[in-house]
Amino acid sequence: MTTPTRQPDVPAEQPAATPGTPPAKSAGRPLERQRGRLATLVRGRWLKTVPGRIRGWTALAVVTVAALALALMLGLQNARQGVQTIGHDAGPQVVATGNLYFALSDMDAQVADILLIGRDQTLGIGRTESLRRYDQARSDASRAAIQAAQLAGKDTDRQRTVQEVIDGLGEYQRLVGQALVLNDQSAHPAGEVPGPVVGTYRQASDLMKLELLPKAYNLTLDSGATVRQSYQEKRTSVLAARYWVLAAGGGALLVLVFGQLAITREFRRLLNPGLVLATVGTILLVAVGVGVLNAQAGHLLRAKRDGFDSVLTMSRARAISHSAFADESRFLLDPGRADTYEQNYLDKASAILYVEPPKDKPANLATYYALAVKAATTYRPDDRSAFLGLLGDEARQVREGKESDALASVLRAYATVLSNDQRMRALVASGDRRGAIDFRMGRGSSAIRDFDAYDAALRSLAATHSAAFDRAIHQADGGLSGWKVVPPVAAVVIAALVLVGVRPRLAEFGRI
Amino acid sequence: MPSTPQGVPAGTRRSPGHRPRTRRLRAASVVLAMACAPAALAGCSLGSSDQHSILHRHSLVIGVKGDQPGLGLLVNGHYQGFDVDVATYVATRLGVPASRITFRTTPSSVREKAIEDGTVDMVVATYSITPARKTQVTFAGPYYVAHQDTLVRTSDRSITSVHDLARKKICAVKGSNSWRRITDERSIPAVPVDVATYSDCMPLLMNGRIDAFSTDDLILAGFAAGHPDVHLIGAPFTDEKYGIGMRKGDLAGCEAVNRILTGMYQDGSAGRFLDHWFADTGAKLTTSVPQFEGCS
Repeated sequence: MTTPTRQPDVPAEQPAATPGTPPAKSAGRPLERQRGRLATLVRGRWLKTVPGRIRGWTALAVVTVAALALALMLGLQNARQGVQTIGHDAGPQVVATGNLYFALSDMDAQVADILLIGRDQTLGIGRTESLRRYDQARSDASRAAIQAAQLAGKDTDRQRTVQEVIDGLGEYQRLVGQALVLNDQSAHPAGEVPGPVVGTYRQASDLMKLELLPKAYNLTLDSGATVRQSYQEKRTSVLAARYWVLAAGGGALLVLVFGQLAITREFRRLLNPGLVLATVGTILLVAVGVGVLNAQAGHLLRAKRDGFDSVLTMSRARAISHSAFADESRFLLDPGRADTYEQNYLDKASAILYVEPPKDKPANLATYYALAVKAATTYRPDDRSAFLGLLGDEARQVREGKESDALASVLRAYATVLSNDQRMRALVASGDRRGAIDFRMGRGSSAIRDFDAYDAALRSLAATHSAAFDRAIHQADGGLSGWKVVPPVAAVVIAALVLVGVRPRLAEFGRI
Repeated sequence: MPSTPQGVPAGTRRSPGHRPRTRRLRAASVVLAMACAPAALAGCSLGSSDQHSILHRHSLVIGVKGDQPGLGLLVNGHYQGFDVDVATYVATRLGVPASRITFRTTPSSVREKAIEDGTVDMVVATYSITPARKTQVTFAGPYYVAHQDTLVRTSDRSITSVHDLARKKICAVKGSNSWRRITDERSIPAVPVDVATYSDCMPLLMNGRIDAFSTDDLILAGFAAGHPDVHLIGAPFTDEKYGIGMRKGDLAGCEAVNRILTGMYQDGSAGRFLDHWFADTGAKLTTSVPQFEGCS
């Protein structure tokens, strides 16, 4: 900072040009004095003095810098909320409720297998292993339900849904217990399940299918909806905040530059170091701020589009696939409802991968096998509209390379699963129920192994997306750390530099 | 945005010697104001991205059926039925009271078009969610999963499952897929008898000119209500997911409707609607929230 080297060239203007201004001495009492000051301020004649103008300008500069900091803070606040919801609240909720659906679905699948094999206890994975998996799934379901309840937070509708699932689970286990007792008493050969066993299992399975699974699935969808809404809202705000930061930063820069030019003219000084530093600081803050907001918008986009959307799609595809596979067991277990279970299988398979049948073809499984197997085995990453369904959604989302390769192996594995299903139903249609049961349970066939391979392919595709999700959230968290304090501190520093810059100029007038 | 350093130029009016600086400062204020304008515009336009959403509407036009007893039936200028009750419940929760809902008969063939061109805001008209339709329409729900079942004369004991329809005369409604599900998809050699509309089947069934009428159980239950001489055999074999269709892409609207539907089952309203229209018809009614399809 420099000391005054000359007198201002228009010193006379200061007091003489404002004859009408009531001098401070005329104010007798504090209140009147205050009112007098306010009137002075409003009348605006103080602006006709050089120090008055400098003070006014300084205030304006500080206000614009504060506005810049505020715009940046609000933008970052939105980014922080978006990352919190997507990465730390609703995202994990999707995983927890997805696990719940899985565990529930697996429980019912294991029960169907145990009842189907009857006294042939080593068929398929075997009764002991099925019971072990049932217990495991039950404990997973309880844990996932507790987690889902915790994550539901203050959302009473969601909490109530979780509670209904927990209550229904108790009833389900009671019915399964009855069915298992009846099953053991009857000691029936595989596939010849007595009426009372089937009847009790129907009650349990209906409860699962009509009440428990839909609620668990809807919880997942609802969490997905929360993520989508938060994403759209927060990302739009973050993107808009860039313009606000640019506008506020541009305003602050204009004020600083024009003020500096005016001071240069007024005081015939080329550069004011304080103001120059303040200007540079403002430019830096705007540039870095816009950069950070841009990066955050990018992280949110990647977390949502490349990660979350596909993770959710894969979670739904796995859930529906397992449920469809269990429908094969139910189809064999309960011939009275075979039509329903066959139709359920077609509906679920269509939800996973769908090709519109030609007008002259009936929309049944025979048509579906042909169309779906063809679509799955001739997949090309550049043809994004060859089929619909969840895998179709995924085909439109994946990027060519690792992701599309993973999808291709999912599709190949799915085609095998479909061929196995076709074979199993052909055996039933030809009257060889026992052969169909052996085939489905993996005796002399690879049906179970093929399904496990398909599931593994789905999981590995999901893993590429959840890695992308974690990466984006991690980067977003990293990019935000420290940015709570940067804008206000930077604004205070810039404002201080402005004050330091104008202080010597005001000092020339003898009062500050 | 603080954009105009107003007082600064005004102050120099009486000191002509400072005119250049005055101009410069005034120019600064203009530039500042212009710099802020686009930002302000961008800010303003943020909220209006959901122009075609069913959310935040003063009134709603809802497409329903007009000729389906129990579901959507136009009686003396008023629509009534389960679909109408569901639509009214949803609209009310969306903030549109019954007085500001306009119901409009929307036949099956024009549902997609009516949604697309905005003739109706949403469709609640036994509208099954299918993968192909999902490419044109965003579906909330399903609000109910109906199942194809078969309506027979109570005196007829020979039909207890869909396979018993072999060589029986069944109603084949023009444009409907239901009878094909028996003859084509299941290859059951039933004899289709062509009729123009669903309501034509009932007199034929009662006077014995056909043996069975097979379609969604809710539709059958609607016809069967008040007719003790016909009954549902209770052997469902398909899932028909009745969704609420809205303009493609209205995800926020779809998600909101799904939450409302969850509430409709939780507070018992859905059970009441179903009971009111279909009790004592032999249809197995599900009073627990269906598995939603997901908004896309």
